[in-house]
Amino acid sequence: MKRLSHELTLEGQPGAFAASLMNSSADLVARACRGEQEAFRLIFERYSRPVISFIYDLVSDRGLAEELTQETFVRAFRNLGTLRQETKLSTWLFGIAKNVARESLRARMRASRQVDLEDKSVLDLSDHSPVPVHQLLNKELNELIQRSLALLDDDKRLVFTLKVFQQCSYEEIADITGFSISKLKSDLHRARSEMRRRISPYVRF
Amino acid sequence: MKCDDCQNLLAEYIDGEAIESDAEQVSAHLITCAECTHEFETLTAEQEVFARYDRELNISPAMWHAIEARTTERRPPDSTSRLSLPAWLSGLFAAPRYGLAGALAVLIVGVMIGVMYLRNQPQTKTPERIAGGKSQTPTGTPENLVAAVNPTEPPQKLKPVEPTKTVSVKESSKSNRITTGSADQSDVLFSDIAYSDIENKDTADHIAQAQNLLRSIRNIHPGDNDEEIDVTFEKAMSRRLLDENVVLRRDAETSGKFPVKSLLGDLEPFLIDIANLPDKTTPTELRAIKDRVQKTEIVAALQSY
Repeated sequence: MKRLSHELTLEGQPGAFAASLMNSSADLVARACRGEQEAFRLIFERYSRPVISFIYDLVSDRGLAEELTQETFVRAFRNLGTLRQETKLSTWLFGIAKNVARESLRARMRASRQVDLEDKSVLDLSDHSPVPVHQLLNKELNELIQRSLALLDDDKRLVFTLKVFQQCSYEEIADITGFSISKLKSDLHRARSEMRRRISPYVRF
Repeated sequence: MKCDDCQNLLAEYIDGEAIESDAEQVSAHLITCAECTHEFETLTAEQEVFARYDRELNISPAMWHAIEARTTERRPPDSTSRLSLPAWLSGLFAAPRYGLAGALAVLIVGVMIGVMYLRNQPQTKTPERIAGGKSQTPTGTPENLVAAVNPTEPPQKLKPVEPTKTVSVKESSKSNRITTGSADQSDVLFSDIAYSDIENKDTADHIAQAQNLLRSIRNIHPGDNDEEIDVTFEKAMSRRLLDENVVLRRDAETSGKFPVKSLLGDLEPFLIDIANLPDKTTPTELRAIKDRVQKTEIVAALQSY
C-alpha cells in the first residue's frame, strides 16, 4: 500500500498532476537529452501530426512528407542539446522541418523532377458557378486547397501555412523563418489574397 | 477609423495580432460599417474553410520505429561526452594505468613518426610551395566556419581534431597538385571542396561587402524625432548584392558547398528587406532590420567565413 501511494504521488502532488508535470515539453527534452527513448517517443507523439502537416503543405507529397518528418525528428534528436531553454519546442521543430523541406525541394528541383505546379486540372473541378461551401465535396475542397497552396511561392506558402494552419504567432513565424515581421505580414497578406482568388470561384463564403 | 484602415487591420484582428488600441477601434468600426463587417465575415468564413482542410495523413507506427532505429544508433549530444583536445590530452596524461611514462612513450613515437615522414618527403612541405597559392590564411578557421554556418549539424562533427585535419589535408592537396603525390583520394576530394570554399574569391568578396552593408545598417542611429533616413545607397548596394547572392547561393548548392549555401541563404532575407526599403525610410522600419541583424548575429556568421 505504501508503495502504491508512492507511485501515485510525486513530491506531494496528486499522481495525475505530477505525471502531467513530468511530461511538460521542457521535462521531455531534458529526459530525452539524458537518453530516455520513451521521452523522445512522447515528443514525437505530441508533435508528429503538426510537423507532418506542415511539411506536407510545403512539399505536396504524402510519401515525401512522411520521409521528411522522420528526418526532422532524427535531426531534432541529434541536436536536442542545442535547444535553448527559452525556445518553444514546437517553434524549434518547425524550424528544423522547414530546413528539411526546403533542402528536399531544392534537391528535387535540381533533379528536374518537379511537377508542373501550374497544372490546371484542379481548376476544372466545377462548372465555375459559385457553390456553397457545404456542397463542395470535402475531397474536392482538400484538393483545391492543396493545389492552391502549391501555387503560392515558397515564402508565402511557408508563412501562410504557419499562420493559418499551425496558428503560430507572428513572433514565432519570425523565429522559424528568419523573416522580419514586416516581410511576413506582407507575404501573409498576399498569400491570403491569392488563396482567396483561387478558391472563391468554387466556394461562396 | 476609415474603412481602408479597418480592412488593412482585419486579418491581424482576426489572428489576434492587432495591438489593443487598434483592436478596439476595429471592433467599434465593425458595429457601424456594413461593408467592413461583410469583409470580416468573409475572412472568418475563409478561416473556417481552411480549418476543414484534411490532408488525410496518418502517423503510422512504422514511422516511429524507423526514427527509433536511426536514433538508437547515436545517442543525443551530451556535453560531457565531447572532450576538447586539451581535456583529451590531460586525460591521456592522467591515465592511471600508464601515467607519465605512457604519455612520454606516445610523445616519442609521435616525434619519431614525424621525423621519418619529413625525411621521406622533404619536397612536399617546402614553404615556397605552400606560399605559391593565392591565399594562405583563411579569414576564419575551418572550425569556426563549420560552426557558424551550420549550427544544426550534429556536434560530433565539431570535434576539435577536425580543423587540424582539414588544414593538413589542404596543404598536402596543394602539394599533390604540384608533385604527383599518392594521397588518399577521399582526402583529396574533401580538401578540394574545403579549399575551394576558401579560395572562392567571388564568394569571399561578396560576403565581405555584405558584412560592410549590414554593419553600416547596424551603425545607423535613428533619432527619436521620427525623421526619415536616407538609405538610397544601402538600398542600391543591397539590390546588387542580392542579385549576386542568388547566383552564388545556387552555385554553392550545385557544387555541394552546403555550409556556404546555408550562410548565403541566411543572408538573403536581410538583403531582400534592405533592398525593399523606401529610399527614405522610417526609423521604425530601420530599427526592425537592425534588431534582427543583432539578434541573429548574422554579421558574426559572415565574419567567421
